[in-house]
Amino acid sequence: MTDWNAMTDAEFRKEVRQFFEAEYPEELRHLPHRPKFAEIEHWHRKLHAKGWVAPAWPAEFGGMGLNAAKLLIFYEEQQRWGVNRGRDMGVQMVGPLIIKFGTQEQKDYWLPRILTCEDIWCQGYSEPGAGSDLANLRTRADIDGDDFVINGQKIWTTMAHDATHIFMLVRTDPEAPKKQQGISFVLAPMDQPGVEVRTITTLSGETEFCEVFFDDARTPRENLVGELNKGWTMAKALLSFERIFIGSPSLAQNALGQLESFARGRGAFDDPVFRDRFAQAALDVEDHAALYARFADQLKRGETLGADVSMLKIWVTECFQRITELMIEAAGPDGGSIGPLQVGNINVDVLASFYKARPTTIYGGSNEIQRNILSKAVLGLPG
Amino acid sequence: MTQTDILSSEQEDLRLLRESVRTLFERAGGSDRARQLRDAGGGFDPEMVRELAEAGVFGVAVPEDQGGLGMGLAAGGVIAEEVGRVIAPEPVVSTIGLSLGLLRRLCPDHPKMAQLIGGEISLAVAWQERGPDGAPADATCRYADGKLTGGKAWVVGAIGSHGFLVVAEQDDGPVLVLAEADAQGLVIDKRTQADGSSLGELSFSGTPAAELASSGAVLTALAEAVADATALAAAELVGLSERAFEITLDYIKTREQFDKPIGSFQVIQHRAVDLNVMCEVAQAGVREALAQMDSETDPKVRAPIASRAKARAVTAAKKITRDAIQLHGAVGYTDEFDIGLYLNRALVLSAWLGDDAYHRRIWFETREAEGAAQ
Repeated sequence: MTDWNAMTDAEFRKEVRQFFEAEYPEELRHLPHRPKFAEIEHWHRKLHAKGWVAPAWPAEFGGMGLNAAKLLIFYEEQQRWGVNRGRDMGVQMVGPLIIKFGTQEQKDYWLPRILTCEDIWCQGYSEPGAGSDLANLRTRADIDGDDFVINGQKIWTTMAHDATHIFMLVRTDPEAPKKQQGISFVLAPMDQPGVEVRTITTLSGETEFCEVFFDDARTPRENLVGELNKGWTMAKALLSFERIFIGSPSLAQNALGQLESFARGRGAFDDPVFRDRFAQAALDVEDHAALYARFADQLKRGETLGADVSMLKIWVTECFQRITELMIEAAGPDGGSIGPLQVGNINVDVLASFYKARPTTIYGGSNEIQRNILSKAVLGLPG
Repeated sequence: MTQTDILSSEQEDLRLLRESVRTLFERAGGSDRARQLRDAGGGFDPEMVRELAEAGVFGVAVPEDQGGLGMGLAAGGVIAEEVGRVIAPEPVVSTIGLSLGLLRRLCPDHPKMAQLIGGEISLAVAWQERGPDGAPADATCRYADGKLTGGKAWVVGAIGSHGFLVVAEQDDGPVLVLAEADAQGLVIDKRTQADGSSLGELSFSGTPAAELASSGAVLTALAEAVADATALAAAELVGLSERAFEITLDYIKTREQFDKPIGSFQVIQHRAVDLNVMCEVAQAGVREALAQMDSETDPKVRAPIASRAKARAVTAAKKITRDAIQLHGAVGYTDEFDIGLYLNRALVLSAWLGDDAYHRRIWFETREAEGAAQ
């Protein structure tokens, strides 16, 4: 078993980069959509054979056991090369939760199946009445013999139509005095009569989001992870690393690279106004990367990130949107056209980038919610 | 020693430097001192200059074998941030960046070096000229037979300085000369700025001056010194922005309307968060830029890094100080509240050595030129 953490950062980065560059299929680089498992299965098998499916998991569970510093490098290289994250809800969300709060039986059963993608997971958190106010969720799980019986509806469930299992926050005690209490974390199979999945067509015409309806769906009681009615605290405990990841500079950096090639090909830099706006965007990305590095250094020193890390997400997602808006401007009369536009020897899908940037300020805690968090937790503002 | 140990020990150096400069300014009265000096006519305090020198401030970026601390621009930035926090009027950035920046590159053995580092004197650098239309123009100020003729504009720290380092032209190219403040034929026209400080417009008519250096090296050193000063001015703006934000945050927590602190209203909260984020991005970007300038020797690479820093710092300082006035409401428009001092100082520092639009243009053009060269 390799001790990756014993390597220098540079050695480790080289190792990861070489593997991605040599092994990742060219046609899957920078995929503009979320793939179904079949589309990336070949790559997943390579990753699995290498033992690299779960970089953050401890080695004893089949992970790479990377510390925070190495983990950041792994993700930076993944994003730099445009390596698709694959169907990683199991690895990113369910696995860490089971490792932290699960029973030995749960670990033995579920973790290997996550690594092989025998089980493919989707996340059942949001509901029609529980978006930013997630604790308002109403999907119920009532105990009936050895099972939970689930009734209700989840929404914005990414790739639920290509998942075998769902991990979900459900209400198990409707009488709890506070709405954050009485929520539990349960696992459930998708392939059963009480579960119905409908895809949602997005603005860009994609169907990666779904609605999932539960009508007396069942899951065994042993699929409760952690304590009954303690799901809210557990789900929150998972988010700390996610919060720097969601604010990483890569999306904006990639878009900026695309914008530059496209704008150059289209002669947009002849316009001094465009030049200035490009310079603004480029410097916005560069200075964000400096701030990101400050938080990354904190992680590397073994410190826990504070609520202030939310500022990365606010800045980078809004910057990403401005960059894609500049792309539309540079496209001129082609700015409303669907599909790739040829410029020199590259293809740029201007609208795909624009659409991709829109939900970034909504998901992962909308930017307004992030501002609420910062104003209270960091600035100490009242009320 | 692991990488982490090195990192934290470097930070420890800078932390100690920051603390000592901050304590010094606070003991002297913080931003109240800036108000007092402004009301007294807009100069700086020579005694404070000596105290800063004792703390090693002016020689911070001068190599140790030239009598400085050899801590580089990153440390200069720490000092500049502290100057910005209390809007101190002493010519700290112009001395570290311009005067000593020029002398240490062109004539490190000159006795004025030690006097500058020791805070015994201050020297203002006169390098820009005003054209007939009032805008910056090419240098025409002449130096021949030991005498200067012509004019220089936008000289920071001119009032109260002991002399001028003048970049002029002679028959065989550029020259750096030293003219004493009381030299014959030197007239200083004072232009008062928003913060009460002043810029000097100098005119020389046969003014005696001593040659310090000549040839192309003068312009190279000048460009380097200007890049240093530009990046340090960015750091000063970062410190200024941080303090302006803190003052504003305190205000919105205490000012009550509709029976509540105005900081409990979401619209105010979100604006405050945006200013905070802007401030943090500026701090991270400018500190990274200064560290990069310390590890780069190629002037062609260093100049756009300085431009990146100044562009960011000016954008942030303008936004933060102007929104700060808005968040203070009507009292923000009065001279009584300190926040206005920060707005006024930001105006002055933004205009000095190029504002954000100017530096974005320089940054972009340098990048294009590099791309074309490759």
